[in-house]
Order: sequence, then structure tokens, then C-alpha cells
Amino acid sequence: MIAAPRAWRQTAGVIARQAPHGAGHWWLDLDVPASFAPPAPGQFVQLLLPPAASPVLLPRPMSVAAVTRRRGGLRLGFLYAPVGAGTRALAALPAGDRVEVLGPLGHGYPLERPGTPVLVAGGRGIAPLLFAADALARQGRRCELVFGARSRDLLVGLDDARRRLAAMGGRLHLSTDDGSRGVRGNVVDVLERLAPRLAFPLVLHACGPHAMLKAVARWGLRHGASTWLAMESVMACGTGVCRGCPLPRSASAVAGFDGARTPSLHGNREWAMCCTEGPVFEAGELDWERIE
Amino acid sequence: MTGRRRLERRAPSPAAPRSPRGSRSRPAGEEPRGQSRSRAPAPGTLDLSVTIGPLRLRNPVLTASGTFGYGDEYAHVMDVAALGGVITKTVTLAPRAGNPPGRIAETPSGMLNSIGLENVGLARFVSEKLPRLRALKATVVASIGGETPRELEELLETLGAEPGIAGFEINFSCPNVAAGGARYWAVPRRLERTLARLRTLTRRALIAKLSPDVTSIGDLARACEQGGADAVTAANTFVGMAVDLFAMRSRLGRATGGLSGPAIKPLALARCHECARAVRIPVLGSGGIMTARDALEYVAVGATAVQVGTANFIRPDAALRIVEGMRAFLAERGVRSIARWRGALLEAPDAQDGARAQRRSTQVVARPRPRRRSVQVAAPPRPGRRSAAGVPSSRARRRGAQVAASSRPRRRSAR
Repeated sequence: MIAAPRAWRQTAGVIARQAPHGAGHWWLDLDVPASFAPPAPGQFVQLLLPPAASPVLLPRPMSVAAVTRRRGGLRLGFLYAPVGAGTRALAALPAGDRVEVLGPLGHGYPLERPGTPVLVAGGRGIAPLLFAADALARQGRRCELVFGARSRDLLVGLDDARRRLAAMGGRLHLSTDDGSRGVRGNVVDVLERLAPRLAFPLVLHACGPHAMLKAVARWGLRHGASTWLAMESVMACGTGVCRGCPLPRSASAVAGFDGARTPSLHGNREWAMCCTEGPVFEAGELDWERIE
Repeated sequence: MTGRRRLERRAPSPAAPRSPRGSRSRPAGEEPRGQSRSRAPAPGTLDLSVTIGPLRLRNPVLTASGTFGYGDEYAHVMDVAALGGVITKTVTLAPRAGNPPGRIAETPSGMLNSIGLENVGLARFVSEKLPRLRALKATVVASIGGETPRELEELLETLGAEPGIAGFEINFSCPNVAAGGARYWAVPRRLERTLARLRTLTRRALIAKLSPDVTSIGDLARACEQGGADAVTAANTFVGMAVDLFAMRSRLGRATGGLSGPAIKPLALARCHECARAVRIPVLGSGGIMTARDALEYVAVGATAVQVGTANFIRPDAALRIVEGMRAFLAERGVRSIARWRGALLEAPDAQDGARAQRRSTQVVARPRPRRRSVQVAAPPRPGRRSAAGVPSSRARRRGAQVAASSRPRRRSAR
């Protein structure tokens, strides 16, 4: 693992739009100046609310769901659910308000890898994969999108995903636990049916609850697919200084750990830091037994 | 000294427009540069420098250990050399992997951490981190931690001769390790003996970082002073817990963690005050400092310098903003030196503090007069007590004036 040059900055972003996005989720468009480096799919930022509007102390890590260039800078899109005090306060901010945005942070998906890209999303884990689908389309590549949720109501942003995939000629494969939409079952059930029809090698890019990511990682390891998973963790700084977001390395990753080559900012022999070494990890890098 | 000059260039201009006193919409300590009152001293005449044993800092704001990595992580977004100093992540003899997740839990106005002294170990600190630290040109205080006095000696035997380290902070107070943590070191006799042994190994600044979770932090501070420490830090995090009721377990991987942030500021401020009353060596105040006004409260109760910790996680340049805010706050009140602010609210020990305290004056040593120009007149010297900088206050004033008048190199630099 080679250290990426640190390109992150903290800068003021202006809320351009906040709108409900279905199933209790919100879409946020945030304008940042040109000094903000363009994030890649899978990377994240830390959003800090103005002190007067914030009931929480720490910034909130949030993955980027869209990036568009505009005059004078970038427009970053975020798909989020107001589930905690911080995100509820964010949802209450109107267009025109400012938030501090620190990023881009971490490592994103290796979309340039040769093979058939299969995006695997669980619930609001769709966010970075919408961005990944856009990026693949710009490269002129097609992808498969496997999208699962507990029920049809929680397939958040489904219309958006459908539109983006249609533009690139990609295909959408749905699953719900209750069978209310698509395959009754989970995303791994869809992968089992889909894989025989796809050209190998497969490159899986996944985001969703850790339980789903565990299943996708194991499926990918079993089938020899190159599998990349965007992990979550409680974080404080997001930049590697606080050492607060460890994920357990797999036995093979521990055995192959080269302390002299791995920048310490990226973690240690036992733990990988989610913020700097991730949030996107290859399936073989982590010990899925110990991940909750 | 480029960082110092840069700061002085940014000092408020006397020609800046005067903002109306009555319509202050933001805390005065956080006013941006250039908006200060017309009666502010000319740029460059405000002396923020402080002395900690053999160490002279260009300003009293350091980054707290464990919140700023090894200094270079934030170097691309701020001038690290413009800080008073950088205290590095605690280094131990062997590398430490740290505690299992969760390591962080946000709580009301604060956060718990249970990192467990994760660090690269001494060998890699010397080979990989120190060269980068030297390149930053910052004033570097290396934090060292050990489970026994012997381990600390070994660390100092190696690091004591390394160039680029201006001083050492001994982490006597980690709340998140099974051995050699806050509880082990909260024994005055052990602290005194250990510091006496460390004192023979280096002439650079030795700072003892203490736990606030003790009956009397003043007793620990006195033991450190007796052992030969140049300063004490008050204080590390407070032991705290957070419970996930739905999972029915701790929100941290271990049962407890260390609480930091604004939630602990009143607590830590009182610990700082207690230490400042107990010892003559400088006290570094630490705990929940988010703004320049927080920092100036610590200085007012007797801190010589302050450490900014949790705020670095929220804004990487928080410590630098605090330096600038302190400068603006003091300048607009006509205070020409941080030494004049120091200890304005420091009360002499009362009788309950024991026989040692009874030998001291019981009068309040200086009245707080922060809004009057008369604070430019030095506070009366405390009876039987040297100033918190450890030198007679008149000498300190002369030295401050010399440094302000010329950009001569620091005379007693350890580097």
C-alpha cells in the first residue's frame, strides 16, 4: 500500500439544495470551491455543521454520491438518512447555509480494474455506488448494479439509479427480503443467479450494512472475484491522527504486513484504520469473523 | 523563526476600524485579524512567548499528545512551526497495536476515546518520524510512555541525544492501558523517584502529564516538582463510560475510556488551578480548549501554556486559530504580554492544602482587571513566590521586551 498524497482541505461549502429522496432519506447538494480536490467514488468527507446549528461536537463522515463540475468549483451530492442528532440537524439546514467540509478522505473503489464491474448496494449503501456508476459511464464502461433492501420502500433512490444505469446501458438487479420487489432474498442470492451469465473476471464494488458486506466478501473470496467493500466506522478526525477507527486485518494480511513499507498513517500490523487505509478494502484484507 | 515573523505580520493593525463594543456578535477571542480596536499595540509588540524550564516557546499553545499525530499529518494545511509546540503521539519502547474497536464514542459536549497508546514504537519513531518532525521546523515535544520507570529511562537514553526534540512530556496518565497507566503512576513517591532518575538523563525540558482522576492533583504536581520536572500538564482525560442500551454493552471496546472536549473544561480548569497553586514550576493547562477564550481562562488561573486536543479533530488548524484569537483578545485590551495575563485569577493556597500551603500568603495575589488598561502595569509580585515562568517577573519582562524588539535566536534553545 502506497500512501496517497494528502490532498484534503477543510473549506466552507454552501448548501445548494436539500430535498427528500424517499424512504426517509435526503439528498444534499453542496457547492465547494475549486480548491477542493475532486473526490473519487468511495471516498468520503467530514461535514461539520456551524456551531450554532450543531447539537454534536464532531464532524460526520459521509460518502460522496455525486460530483459535478460547476463554474467556480464542484457540486458534491450526498444521500443520507437523518437518523442521529448530527444528521437531523444537517437535514434542518436550508439552501444557502454553510457547512465546513473536509476532504476528500480515504481511498475509493479501484474502478479501473479490468473485468466486469458489478456494483452491490444494500439500502442507502447505494450512495457511493451511484457515483461509481457515473464514473464507469464516463469511462465508457457498462456495469451491473445489484441493489437489495429489506423491502421495496427501502430501495432508496431507485429511480435515480435506474436513470443513471439506463444512460450507460447498465442493468439493474433488485432483491428484497420480503419479496416486495425483485428477487425474494438478499444481494448474494442475486449474485448467485447473475454470475454465471457474466464475463469473468468479476470485480465487485460493494457498500451497505456490515452484515451484507460480510456475505458479499465471502461470496467474492469463494468465487475468486476481486471484491472491494466500503466499510463504516465511528470516527473522530477522519485523517489518521486520532487512531479511532480500527478494523481487524485478516491473518494473511497480518502475515504479509510489511511494517517498513506500510506508512504508519495507514494503520498497524493488527489494525487497519478505516479512514486512511479504507474506507474501501479488498475482501482478503480484513478478518470478517471479527467485524461487527 | 519564520513562523514567528509570519504571526507578527498578521498582528492586528492599529489602523484597523474599531468595531462597536456593544454589538459584538461573536466571541471577542475569535475575531478575525484586522478587526481589532484602534488602541491595540503596534504589530509585533505583543509578546506571547513563554518559558518552560530550558524551553522557550514562541507562543503558549501546543497540540496535545495523541491529537496531532507526529506533526506532519496536518502540515499541508497549516504552518505547524507557527504553533508554540507540537507534542507528538506517545511513543513506547515496543510498537503497540492499540485497543480493539470501538475506540471513539461521542458524548454530550465531549468524546470518549480508548485508543490504548497505539504507536509505531521507539525504533520506527527515530528512523521514520523524527526526520519528518525535524523538517517541519516546529518546536517538538516528544511524549513518551512506559510501564515502569526503567522503560522511561531507556526511552530517554535513546531520545535524549536525538536532535530536533526540544523537550519531553512523560505520559504518566493514560487511562486506556492495562499496565503502566494513570492508576500506576498516581503515586507521588513513584513520580518523584522516576523524575529524579529521568532528570539525570537530559537537560531538555521534562514535562509530567498527570491524571485528573486523583484525590489531589496538587500532591502529584508537587512530587513532580521535587523530582526535578520542569513543568506539569494538568490534565489528561477523565475516565468515563458510555453504554449502548440496545446492545447492552459499553460503546467502547473496553469498559471505560478517556473523556475530553468541552464537557471537561470546568473540571480540568480547576485541576490546572490546583496545580498552579501547588507548584512553582510552570503548569500546562489542558482539557476542552476550543477557543482563544478557553485558553486565556487557563492562563488566568495560572497556566503558563495550554494544550489543544479534541479541537484538532474538528478543525485541523484549531490550535493556530486559538493563537491568533489570543493575540487579538489581548491586543484589544492593551495587554502587551501573556505574562501579564498569567495567574490573574490564581488564588493562594488555603489552609486545607496542608502545612506546605500555610507557609504561603493567603491573600489573593492579583485582582482580575481584564478590561482596564491598567493591566499593563505589572501585577504586584506574589509574596515569597516566583512567577509561574520560574523566573523573577521583572527579569521575565526584560527578556520579553528583548525578544519582541529583535528577532534574535532563542538563547536557551534545546535544539
